[in-house]
Amino acid sequence: MIDLLTQPFLRNILVAGVLVAIGLSTWSGYVVLRRIVFTGAAVAEVASAAVALAVLFQLAPFPIALGLTVLTFLALSRVTDSKRLPPETMVGMLYAGGAAASVLLIAKAPRGEAEILNILFGNILTVPVSLLWLMAGVFGALLLLQYFAAKEFLISAYDPDMGRALGIRVGLWNMIFYGALGVAVAVAIRSVGALLTFAMLVAPGASALCLTNRLSRVGKLATLFGVAASLIGIAVSYQYDLPTGSTIVALLVAIFAVSFAMSAIRRAH
Amino acid sequence: MADELLRSRSLSVGYGQHVVLHSIDIAIERGDFLGIMGPNGAGKTTLLKTLLGLLKPLAGRIDVASSVKPGAGLFGYVPQRESLDLHYPLTAVEVAIMGRYGRLGPLRRPRTLDRKIALDSLAQTRMEAFADTPYRNLSGGQKQRVLIARALASEPQILLLDEPTNGMDVNSERAIMELLTELQTTKQTTVVFVTHLLSTIERYARRVALITFDGRILVGEKQAMLKPDVLAGAYRARAAEDQPDVAGKL
Repeated sequence: MIDLLTQPFLRNILVAGVLVAIGLSTWSGYVVLRRIVFTGAAVAEVASAAVALAVLFQLAPFPIALGLTVLTFLALSRVTDSKRLPPETMVGMLYAGGAAASVLLIAKAPRGEAEILNILFGNILTVPVSLLWLMAGVFGALLLLQYFAAKEFLISAYDPDMGRALGIRVGLWNMIFYGALGVAVAVAIRSVGALLTFAMLVAPGASALCLTNRLSRVGKLATLFGVAASLIGIAVSYQYDLPTGSTIVALLVAIFAVSFAMSAIRRAH
Repeated sequence: MADELLRSRSLSVGYGQHVVLHSIDIAIERGDFLGIMGPNGAGKTTLLKTLLGLLKPLAGRIDVASSVKPGAGLFGYVPQRESLDLHYPLTAVEVAIMGRYGRLGPLRRPRTLDRKIALDSLAQTRMEAFADTPYRNLSGGQKQRVLIARALASEPQILLLDEPTNGMDVNSERAIMELLTELQTTKQTTVVFVTHLLSTIERYARRVALITFDGRILVGEKQAMLKPDVLAGAYRARAAEDQPDVAGKL
């Protein structure tokens, strides 16, 4: 770990890991409770397809991915249960469509495969300093939004009828929630890729929900788990020459497994 | 004329183009204890949501007394408790404090005063000892008390309850309805509840609104509304299959 702190290149990785952990794990409790875990996965695929599309037409990938990610989240937030199909169907179709579109578009892209894969899936090892600043700014602003809009986000998901009866604009706050989540996902995918983004968006919150009966503690515990998995994951991957993103994801899953087991044991007694 | 808080005039309620109830002329008076009764699927919740402003009237209008401030504070809404997701790790006081949200304004966080009001509301429903207990760990009756406390925390003019005793045993039902009676008599809280149970209406309501077989509403004092001929006119053939307790009265 001392080595990691003394080398600027590795310091950037640590900063990126911590920023992504803070930026996404604070949302993860909401993602689990709102039952939009797979929406996160589907949107990640759509973001990847958007990047591939931008590469194919030689456009700036990030604004395209950002715009499409936010739009997809907003569109999915408006999908309601129809008589014929449950809303998960749309999520599944987007996931499959996004994944297929990414592969098809890459096949026709003019750049080298490694470069495209880097742009498409992100890589925590190659995050430039400019992106670190972007992450710090965006995630910081979104944290402030979460802090001040906590009651609006909660009532809009937990009891929307009560919220409307109290005069809270539930539809608007749901749109703000999904829009903000879309921005967080787009920035994270650009930085660290779809797999780590998806894992950070689900696992820390799920682990925290296993261990606490207080909603106010879920965000703090989730952040702790996310940051710990990032720091330990980076150190372990450096020490044992393992892929960094996957090592962090494996640690997040391990934390969830332990939390889930502890919760089950506590319930049994 | 009694002190009216709200009156509907020729109101029709429903979803999209589908009219569920029509020609509704109903007044809610200050200090009222009004029970709205109808079989399952008759449109009780639709009416309630229209009164709350969650659904737009298909026709007619709802007039609120000029003495009542519109928006937050008119209704304290108590939904069917089964509608709330128990995965949320919320304590009883965290649920009760939601009643304050409408009074805080956008992006304002609850303050110490809001927590105090929420705790006072829990005390009114005799749940103060459970303030820090996870809501999901409470019994059905206790959950209902917390939801009533949440509605009271909004300092409403009218307490509006959707099937407040649904799925409860006799003792829990009695405790909840006696609590509402106590709030009405000691605090002059205006109580409006919907139920499909004649027995609940018979024991506790002061005035009754009967949803009829043809989608209208008859309103009056309980003694007058529960006469067999009125019930027979309101329910006709539906009572025998949908409302066995009503059928027994005919």
